[in-house]
Amino acid sequence: MDKHAIELINVTKKYQCGDDIPALKDITLTIRQGEYIGILGMNGSGKSTLARLFNSLVKPSAGKIYINGMDLDSPEKLTEIRQLVGIVFQNPDDQLVCPVVEEEIAFGPENLGLPVSEVNNRLTWALQIMNLEELKYHAPHFLSGGQKQKVALASVLAMLPKYLILDEPTSMLDPTSRYELLEHLRKINSRNGITVVLISHNPEDLFYADRLIVLDHGSIYLQGNPREVYAEVEKLAAIGLEPPDFYQLIVRLEENGHKIDDNINTIPELVECICRK
Amino acid sequence: MKDMKLGQYIHGNSTIHLLDPRTKIVCCTLAVIAVLISYQWYYLLLLAALVMIGIKCSGVGFKLIFHNLRSIRYFLLVSFVFQAILTTGQPVWHIGIITVTDKGLILGTVNLLRLIILFFGSFLLLMTTTPMKLATGIEYLLLPLNKIKVPVQSLSTVLNISFRFIPTLIEEANNIKDAQISRGAQFNGPKIILNVKNYLAILIPMLASSLIRAENVAEAMDSRCYSGHPNKVRMSSLRLKGIDVIVICFMLIILMIGIFVCFF
Repeated sequence: MDKHAIELINVTKKYQCGDDIPALKDITLTIRQGEYIGILGMNGSGKSTLARLFNSLVKPSAGKIYINGMDLDSPEKLTEIRQLVGIVFQNPDDQLVCPVVEEEIAFGPENLGLPVSEVNNRLTWALQIMNLEELKYHAPHFLSGGQKQKVALASVLAMLPKYLILDEPTSMLDPTSRYELLEHLRKINSRNGITVVLISHNPEDLFYADRLIVLDHGSIYLQGNPREVYAEVEKLAAIGLEPPDFYQLIVRLEENGHKIDDNINTIPELVECICRK
Repeated sequence: MKDMKLGQYIHGNSTIHLLDPRTKIVCCTLAVIAVLISYQWYYLLLLAALVMIGIKCSGVGFKLIFHNLRSIRYFLLVSFVFQAILTTGQPVWHIGIITVTDKGLILGTVNLLRLIILFFGSFLLLMTTTPMKLATGIEYLLLPLNKIKVPVQSLSTVLNISFRFIPTLIEEANNIKDAQISRGAQFNGPKIILNVKNYLAILIPMLASSLIRAENVAEAMDSRCYSGHPNKVRMSSLRLKGIDVIVICFMLIILMIGIFVCFF
């Protein structure tokens, strides 16, 4: 039992309605603290079910889940687990319940029963880390989609989670807001050491992932670092996925005899690598 | 001026604006009690004058208040007229078979004053207190009900969330309506039955999406460990100052005067 990881062991989830097809089939995976994981899959692959398993919104039909060594099955640990594992959903509107941004961000810490001074400290920290200081007294429902999602993320961060699950957080955002949100996630992961598990059907979102997990019809189809996963072009095409342009470019370059270093993961790095040769 | 809804909050920095919302709610309640128990027109005139002074202090502007009064002018007129006609007393005036009595005139004036005080008093409250402060004040004042197992916090959370989602729901309804219009539905056409049917056709998608939304919101709240705890940060932002105590004492004295005048 790893005290610093999320462990899923042979987890299966069947929903009780209609057909007998399980949403998730025999999933075994480990997510270590500090990692940046990308979970990729088409619609219906079980991504959202997986997201909700992490913080016990949904219970597995079979198998075991451990968060930092704690069994997710124990009801008395529920608050502790939900404080450790925060989740940001797809629709920003459906996550905001308070009339003022300040209150929204304080919502989580208050539910944890923290003293007012501590709640205020976390509020200030969350506002500062997401650059939301000017919006402190605004009404969340009148903000733009990107701002709403930032407020939702700040509200989850205020609970000081060790693991941050994001279920398609950018699908309802415009390109600029999407980019800003992804930059914030990268900062949170590299500077604050918070584990990021980003779930998306768009490979472009998962640029900064250390490790990719590709889901197909409830099972883990491919797993590994992005270069390894995107190299399997035919396998990805078989389930309707395409590597992002960046990786396709690397594949073409290597096919034409230019060796690209293994740790190149961003466009500037690629440009520098090519220029050096 | 036309866009100002009845009782909408107007931003300001007057003494009245800066009073604790609990003070204002309590004073409003005391004024309502005073109005309901008194029937002496001179006492009611005093109360009306106090409300007017309050409005002047708040800087809200009489134009706005009288504009609001216009909306209820028929109600006030009908109330006065019926009281004047239907009360027994010494006849003062005959118009055909309708008789206006002296007691009727006095009672009519008394009722008019009552209504004016009630309306202006509540307008003053609503215009100088933000909806959030109002909700917090009410929640604080209802907290003792927790002793008899009334779930005050849960109820106020329900109210708050409902208010927060009103603009979202309106936008969604408009989107569905626009989608229907672009498919040929008529909402302002000549046939009323058709219009009603088309409005009903918005209700079903709204109901379905509201149920889904409710589930999503519940998941988001659960994920942040919601359990109905009191809202400490918001509550702690309310603080009674010296002026609040003075104002409440003043209103209590006015109420005492009212009780004295009307029962002794």
